Amino acid sequence: MKGFKPSAPFLLLLPAIIVLAAVVVLPLILSLYSSFTPFRLTRPETFFVFVGVRNYLSILSNADFWWAFGRTVLLLTIALNLEMLLGLGLAMLVEKATRGQRILRTLMMFPMMFSPILVGFQFKFMFNDNIGLVNNALQSLGITQDAIPWLIEGHLAFIAISIAEIWSSTSIFAILILAGLLAMPKEPIEAARVDGCTPWQTFRYVTWPFVMPFAYIAMTIRSLDVARAYDIVKIMTDGGPAGRTELLWTLVGRTAYSDARMGLANAMAYFSILLSIAFTVYFYNKLAAARAQIGAEW
Amino acid sequence: MDENASARLTRRALTVAHRVGLFLAMFVICLPGIWIVLSSLRPTVEIMAKPPVWIPQELSFDAYIAMFSGIGKGGIPVLDYFRNSLIISVTSTVIAVAIGMAGGYAFARYRFRGKSGMFLGLMLTRTVPGIALSLPLFFLYVRLGIIDTHIGMILAYVALNVPFTIWLIDGFFRQVPKDLAEAAQIDGCTRWQAFWQVEFPLARPGIASAAIFAFLTCWNEFALASQLTRSVNSKTLPVGLLDYTAEFTIDWRGMCALAVVMIIPALTLTYIVQKHLVGGLTSGAVKG
Repeated sequence: MKGFKPSAPFLLLLPAIIVLAAVVVLPLILSLYSSFTPFRLTRPETFFVFVGVRNYLSILSNADFWWAFGRTVLLLTIALNLEMLLGLGLAMLVEKATRGQRILRTLMMFPMMFSPILVGFQFKFMFNDNIGLVNNALQSLGITQDAIPWLIEGHLAFIAISIAEIWSSTSIFAILILAGLLAMPKEPIEAARVDGCTPWQTFRYVTWPFVMPFAYIAMTIRSLDVARAYDIVKIMTDGGPAGRTELLWTLVGRTAYSDARMGLANAMAYFSILLSIAFTVYFYNKLAAARAQIGAEW
Repeated sequence: MDENASARLTRRALTVAHRVGLFLAMFVICLPGIWIVLSSLRPTVEIMAKPPVWIPQELSFDAYIAMFSGIGKGGIPVLDYFRNSLIISVTSTVIAVAIGMAGGYAFARYRFRGKSGMFLGLMLTRTVPGIALSLPLFFLYVRLGIIDTHIGMILAYVALNVPFTIWLIDGFFRQVPKDLAEAAQIDGCTRWQAFWQVEFPLARPGIASAAIFAFLTCWNEFALASQLTRSVNSKTLPVGLLDYTAEFTIDWRGMCALAVVMIIPALTLTYIVQKHLVGGLTSGAVKG
């Protein structure tokens, strides 16, 4: 009996392992291999030509790639930080509300129900320079006379994409941080207040350490899914104008399917996978550290 | 006395500021959705009007009627897309939840070597961006001849959802006290019976949430679907949305209507599970 038991969890996990091996790990090995070939979809025989690290070298010297890479990291940094701050603010606003909290919580989750592609589309509609809600509102209010070319000018397009991204994901942070605020014991806050802490100090040294793990859960969940920005960008600008909003993922898609250069695209894809993994591992470690901290204090 | 009055005043001001802040935040959150619904009901002339028409003059369901009346009239085969989306999402959800239950149970109830490493490994498979995964999958599927089929999409979505369903279901099984199943076993149940009679009913709301979450992921997924589907055989709604965009023009009204059709199931399902979902994500991760 004793010798038989340890295999039970592995038996239970076996289906998961098989599926993931077949649909994720095996294809990734294949794509790793093809990143070392000059493989083009249009010429299958190139799949068996081995060129070593030539694809990687050509990426390293490719300015477009580094721009896309930098832009991706910049977008993620801006978006994740702002989402966290806004989410925290929103959660605290809702937590303070005395009436109608259920309705507020439901409203707060509204953007979570939108698929990224819908987010992209609706913001494309709203930021349209001619008929979009944003320009119409600005013009009706008399703030500007001109149609601001939101999705046509490079920097503005980047801002518009960031706004769409932040709108769609802030609620994940807000809802998880709110869960943390609601689960938090009230005594430490009262104790801090009795001991004469200012509201800021109470927040900084009592509330925040408790809420932090929840914020990192949100970060971890988000970082599992950072590539959802692909959908938004694909719809809103498709990397344009003139590649000014090209992110790593749209560049990979374009290189693979429009230019049919699979080998090169796979090499690029590995950079984007590494980026995703780096984000996830980073936040997972932060989560573990934050968890250990509250474990020690409470 | 004066101090009291000023304190009361500050308090008042804070309450008002809080109300205003809350209102503004909720306004920003809801506005895009409301705008889409409104636009889907307005005639195209009004959407395109310059200067803008703020108050809708006439509302109609024309866009919806056109959309569901088939190819030729509405422009795109929405019913086919809808059917594909439904078949693919439901099937892959059922499979992913079954696999997730087995895996989640293993993580919640057993101790084994390499457990946390394995958990992180599962999560890491989820980090692979859809577009990066689509390249080798595209190639493999073409070779296997399952490109543009339901089976291919279902397989991909099962793999996409398994890590997350395991995470969620693991969290829910942990909330069920171990003692209950043990008590059942002492009373003569086998472990299998104890699971179905005791643990499963208790964790059921959580498992339902995981299922709905998986369903929504499939329902909304775009990056993989846009490359692995080619025709009405397997195109899903998110990909179908692109049919409304031509080279230089976009049928905004039709697109808005399709958007509403896509949101409604998502909205309803998310509303049903919201409470359990947050509970599952946090309990699994915080209590360790």
